[in-house]
Amino acid sequence: MIWKIAKKEFLLNLMTFKFATGTILCMILIAIFVPILAKAYQERLNNCSENVAYNQSELRKVVVYKNITPTIYRRPSVLAIFSEGLAKQLGDSAAIKYDKVPEISGSTANHYLSIFSVFDVSLIFKIVISILALLLAYDTISGERERGTLRLIFSGTAARYQVLLGKLLAGLLVLVVDVTIAFILGLVILLCLPMVDLTASDLIDIGLMFLASLVFIATMYNLGLLFSCLARRSAVSLVLGLFVWIIFAVVIPNGSVYLATLIRPIEPEDKVNDQITALEREIGTEFVRELERSGRSFMSGRDDRSDASGGGFGNGYVRSGTEAMIHNELLQYSIRVPIQIRYANKYSEIRNNYLRGLFEQTWLADNLSRISPISLYENIMSALAGTDVAGFRQFIEAVKPYRNDIIEYMRSRTDNFSKTIFFTPCTEEEIQTRPKGDTAAPLELSDLPRFTYEADIIGILRRIAPDFAFLILGNILFFAVAFAAFVGYDVR
Amino acid sequence: MIRQIIHKELLENLLSFRFILSLVLIILLFAVSGFVFVSKYKQQSRDYWEKTNENAEELSRQTRQLYRIAFYKQSIWREPKLLALCTEGFEKSLPNCFTFNIFDSDLPKVKGQGNFTLSNFSSIDWVFIVSVILSFLALVFTYDSISGEKEAGTMRQMLANTIPRHQVLVGKYIGVVLTIGIPLFIGLLVSLIIVVASNVAVINALDWSKILIIVLISFLYLSIFILMGMFVSSRTAYPANSMVMLLLVWVVLVILIPSFGRIISEVSGEAPNPAELERRLAEIRTDVWSNSERYGERAGNWAPNVNHPMNNPPARARLWNASANAQNKAREDYHNKMMAQALVGRNLTCYSPTVIYQRASETIASTGINHIVSLQSQIKEYQAELREYIRGEDAKDPLSLHLIFPETNSVSAWRTISHNPVDFANVPKFQERDLALGQSLKLAVWDIGLLALFNLAFFAGAFVSFLRYDVR
Repeated sequence: MIWKIAKKEFLLNLMTFKFATGTILCMILIAIFVPILAKAYQERLNNCSENVAYNQSELRKVVVYKNITPTIYRRPSVLAIFSEGLAKQLGDSAAIKYDKVPEISGSTANHYLSIFSVFDVSLIFKIVISILALLLAYDTISGERERGTLRLIFSGTAARYQVLLGKLLAGLLVLVVDVTIAFILGLVILLCLPMVDLTASDLIDIGLMFLASLVFIATMYNLGLLFSCLARRSAVSLVLGLFVWIIFAVVIPNGSVYLATLIRPIEPEDKVNDQITALEREIGTEFVRELERSGRSFMSGRDDRSDASGGGFGNGYVRSGTEAMIHNELLQYSIRVPIQIRYANKYSEIRNNYLRGLFEQTWLADNLSRISPISLYENIMSALAGTDVAGFRQFIEAVKPYRNDIIEYMRSRTDNFSKTIFFTPCTEEEIQTRPKGDTAAPLELSDLPRFTYEADIIGILRRIAPDFAFLILGNILFFAVAFAAFVGYDVR
Repeated sequence: MIRQIIHKELLENLLSFRFILSLVLIILLFAVSGFVFVSKYKQQSRDYWEKTNENAEELSRQTRQLYRIAFYKQSIWREPKLLALCTEGFEKSLPNCFTFNIFDSDLPKVKGQGNFTLSNFSSIDWVFIVSVILSFLALVFTYDSISGEKEAGTMRQMLANTIPRHQVLVGKYIGVVLTIGIPLFIGLLVSLIIVVASNVAVINALDWSKILIIVLISFLYLSIFILMGMFVSSRTAYPANSMVMLLLVWVVLVILIPSFGRIISEVSGEAPNPAELERRLAEIRTDVWSNSERYGERAGNWAPNVNHPMNNPPARARLWNASANAQNKAREDYHNKMMAQALVGRNLTCYSPTVIYQRASETIASTGINHIVSLQSQIKEYQAELREYIRGEDAKDPLSLHLIFPETNSVSAWRTISHNPVDFANVPKFQERDLALGQSLKLAVWDIGLLALFNLAFFAGAFVSFLRYDVR
């Protein structure tokens, strides 16, 4: 019986004007936007590979150890086409320096572009297809009552739960067709474009996105069904549905962010910077203390030096100098660098405290927005695409141990920063013999630790699990209430 | 006759369920927007005055010696605008700090703008409520205005009388305008009352007239959606179909196209690259210094004593000024490129009335990107004014060499700009001015014209379709 009702409804829906227009619009939008989004992705990718290539070439020019200051770039994710998340708002690079721990930061791209809001494929789903789901659902019950066909159905042997389940099934089938066509079309276009290279894990993520879209669309359909069961006239159920939709789509996502900034304000960044500046001043006194403790002293005498540029990453280095100069510089570095490394960790602690405030605020905003299925869906999509805050944090967290490896490497190669090669290729023996203008050979850095970063799939799954659960819960809840309302529905 | 139709439409709408829902929603949103604005404005004004006073104090400390004023890097902060109540223009993520001295100005910076890990949200200002929520309501009220009456069978009865069709159409249009106008008007009042009662700022005559114009533009914008609703409604036989069409069109015009601007900006043309700017600046410096003889003999040399034969102060001044000017030019080009990139996205999406509406109201309120543009040109004027002042004061000092150029060491050691103290009261100070009404209107006139054109097009469409509408 359920199947029969579902089949009838399915066929009826397939031939409706709303289904046709909605589907065609979706196809057109995807066919237009996916190639353009892919083009934007390609530009980001080119930018990233340019930066990486620059890094590599600079690394080959490094002459002294202090100049090993590469920048690690996060490869832009193809899936940002599907869900952009914070990809354009957060910085995607981390500079490795011994005197600074990299932290998550805002993007340095053109600020003026922030007058536009986010645009990606999931926008089409969360706006167009969700409206379509509401439009399909709003008159399933109240519309049939108005036309009088509901009476006819109940004069047969069909039970109420069968009718409702049949209608749910039919609606879902129709929407599955839509979502599937949209995904397949998007995927085919992506696969046809030469600049996009989808890996197996990307495909798995897209599969999960597909699943999430289905669950999300089912939630919206159930919501429409609920209003259809609550109202007696289809016009009322439509108006109710649209109002709730605009609250879910526009008011809650914006309002939750604003509420979060009210409930949990963050401390001003100036304060953090002041704290760090105060700490920076301590380095001088710390240096004097350490110098006394070591019992060494600066050498007096002429401290002529000649510096050379082009020692890697835009830094210069000491080309040659008098004995006193080399001695003093070495003394400076060997005492100052360990202090700077220690202080870098202190700055990082202060910065992290500040960042923790930001994350708590974001966390609150995310949780507040979870009332809206549209926000839940957005969370899932951006987590899968790796463009949410957690994705960026994970990347930065992976860079931190790498920075320690680099420092360890520098330390082991320069005997705890006390070899001249840390800042000059000119050894103490060479001072007299080294001519002034010659170039130095770059360092042999083939055993420099390499940075590898893999997005943590388990972590992502763990992050999206609650949102998925909420969406499913929403489905069950909306359907249960719709069912309760429908059991008592007056079909006259 | 037309009055009766308006009357009937109005009553019918006012008593409907959708009207009550929209009234509550709209008044609530406008009230929230008022409160949000007041709290934000208070905070911003406090910060602004704190920073501005700091700057003025620091500037007054430089008056001990004239040349110090020339070198002092002033920081000017963007003044919070009262009209951000109407449209905030995404100012929270736009640059808010401008640093400069009389020789060069840095790129505008974004400072202390809060949490960058929060997703970029639109502030709830009037333009947002009107462009998204009210335009949506306009469709909800009009989708069945023709096809609904046909379905109910009342259209036949109405036209059986002696009413000409155009009167029906105009009557319906005015009816819906009034219906939408009621929540809008109450909402605007609530929002204004909250702002006026909280006493955060005085709304002066200029602001009032700008608010009035923004309200008029909002009306023009909403009227587009009302006419569009009637147009589609008179093209379709069933209200359900017109609803579907209208919703999809609304989604595309109001949500998809405006956000599409960013992608257009990104793919059209080369993105300005900060690293490239740095390289360009370095090139300029290398070029100037390696060809220092171009500016006069011994321009590249420097000794602390001005009378030392190694020195050639006028050549030195030419060299430094040339370098500063070239670098300023490079920075300005870069900044213009950034601005142009954003504007391309906006201009290429202005086939959506929402984009036009946002742009027009931002222009009138001079918030958003317009604010930055006008602030920058004012700063430039001020820079020139300050420079003139320093030149004038410097001319009074017989001990000075009267050479104004951006090298601190030489200027202080050689005394090329006067070292005499000046009176702080006479030093020009920066004060941001609002654009006059005529000026902002002139900037917005095209957009207003476009909005009117949209109105005309949809009205003509609705008129023709309704004249030929089959009411059976």
